[in-house]
Amino acid sequence: MKALCWEGVGKLAVRDVPEPTIRSGGDIIVKVRASSVCGSDLHLINGYLPAMREGDILGHEFMGEVVETGPDVRRIKVGDRVVVGSVVACGGCWYCRTEQYSLCDNSNPQPVFTEKLWGHSPAGILGYSHAAGGYAGSHAEYIRVPFGDVGAFTVPDGVPDDSVVFASDAMPTGWMAADFCGLKGGEVVAVWGAGGVGQMAARSAQILGAERVIVIDRLPDRLATAAGRLGVETINYAETDVLEALRELTAGRGPDACIEAVGMEAHDVGPTYAYDKAKQSARLQSDRPTSVRQAIMACRKGGTVSIVGVYGGLVDKFPLGAAMNKALVLRMGQMHAQRYIPMLLDRIAVGEIDPGYLATHPMSLADGARGYEIFEQKQDGCLRTVLHPQAA
Amino acid sequence: MSSNATRWALAGAATATAVGVGRAVLRRRRRHQPAREDGWYVVHRGITVDRPMDAVIGFWTDRERLDRGLGEWATLEQLDETRWRCVASDPAGGSTEWRAELTVDGPGRLSWRVTDGPTEQRGRVELTEAPQDRGTEIRTELRWRSGPARRVLGLAGGHDPDLALRSALRRIKSLIETGQVLDTRRDPSGRDPKQEPATDRVREKLMAGGRP
Repeated sequence: MKALCWEGVGKLAVRDVPEPTIRSGGDIIVKVRASSVCGSDLHLINGYLPAMREGDILGHEFMGEVVETGPDVRRIKVGDRVVVGSVVACGGCWYCRTEQYSLCDNSNPQPVFTEKLWGHSPAGILGYSHAAGGYAGSHAEYIRVPFGDVGAFTVPDGVPDDSVVFASDAMPTGWMAADFCGLKGGEVVAVWGAGGVGQMAARSAQILGAERVIVIDRLPDRLATAAGRLGVETINYAETDVLEALRELTAGRGPDACIEAVGMEAHDVGPTYAYDKAKQSARLQSDRPTSVRQAIMACRKGGTVSIVGVYGGLVDKFPLGAAMNKALVLRMGQMHAQRYIPMLLDRIAVGEIDPGYLATHPMSLADGARGYEIFEQKQDGCLRTVLHPQAA
Repeated sequence: MSSNATRWALAGAATATAVGVGRAVLRRRRRHQPAREDGWYVVHRGITVDRPMDAVIGFWTDRERLDRGLGEWATLEQLDETRWRCVASDPAGGSTEWRAELTVDGPGRLSWRVTDGPTEQRGRVELTEAPQDRGTEIRTELRWRSGPARRVLGLAGGHDPDLALRSALRRIKSLIETGQVLDTRRDPSGRDPKQEPATDRVREKLMAGGRP
């Protein structure tokens, strides 16, 4: 079968690879119909999250049709149209029992790297390097999904593939970001990043009761899409001082909750950004925490900073003093896909959230490398490239 | 004259730094060594399984599942009510076989002793209830005798009784909680078959041992 493989830092290519087979009782094989690119893939492609090996298949946000099930699979049937959470969870450990699926104890068969780096190993993630378990990813015609009964969910008829695919990762990540904010109704929420996750976080915050949502980015077309689709206020940080603007918009208080949906390759303007970028390029720091710093500085006293952008290692100039003295609540983590997906599918079915507009660039698998380029360079108003491995 | 003084000062500073770094490295190494007791290496490792103690004991008495837990390196044979014989390839390296005797010492307690093998080894397992409804703690103590040279060779080759114990604990936890142990080796990839052995070595490093 064809698959989009990582061939070294910044290099992708479509290769002929063997088809996956059932290897454990709980496995299912999914024929991939739609597989989205994700901002966190860029960290892998560019070598900032280490532990990629040449030939690894990328992709973790996908949906498709079940073509084979292992002997222990009960809930999922061959022929089901399913969306699969990108985080692998066993369903049998304490973390899964308490619905903290991305912290699953048993789903990373190669836990030593993250145990050394982070103290403990969180869950494995499909198509996400050897630090996250070494699973083959979804930018391929077929993919093996372990613990299929736990990770796959049948999707409602009538919802297009390119819409429901975002229930795999972007939507649950955005929902969890808003969930972390502990909204009670009437809050002002600021969201850094107007990409797929940021826009889903903004929509989720609205549903959970935020009165005003302010989205921050530097790309006018993304901000315009967010304003048009979701009715949020926007700040372009390339033109405006974000901290001043947020203070003014909230009459001096600052947002009640700040969601960071950017991650370790954040952009900014000014000398601090140049300094961070230089340090990261020289691998003197693994992550550029530009937007996290800003979120902490902007957040009102006693407010919540919710981080769902992906970070891998160490950051520099982290404003711990601001966080401590303003008594901020910091919440963060990879999303607990399995906790949120069924609820999100219901909301898609009734039209409460329609993530389909994120799929600006549907493409065939063969154009995958180009698809990532368009996505990374944000060319042509690209929000998400969605690959279709079954298309010619 | 002054250049000579500078040279001495530099040499002094370099020596002091080298001694300091060396001592720090040694101290760190010593902290990471297993404890020594009367010529035995001793390690304690534990893992928490999210099941009541009965279910964990049930696993130990379920031959098929236990065999899968021990993996490719051991088989088990029951001798009488409280004793088993275990035949395994030497976890400390090489293809030699070793035999061990396992004894059930009481409810939730068992011990083992290597009766015939290159490394003298014995260990104990004790099950205790974990707090806050977290299931059962499997606590183990492993003792083995090994010369320093053998130990270094074993560590370099990835054959360390401690690593083997930690891997086994993790496998057992996964089997009890999920009924399977995941493996992603030989998952599809665009790698040349010639590149796979190198990737397998990386994977094995990432699989062996770990925290428990």
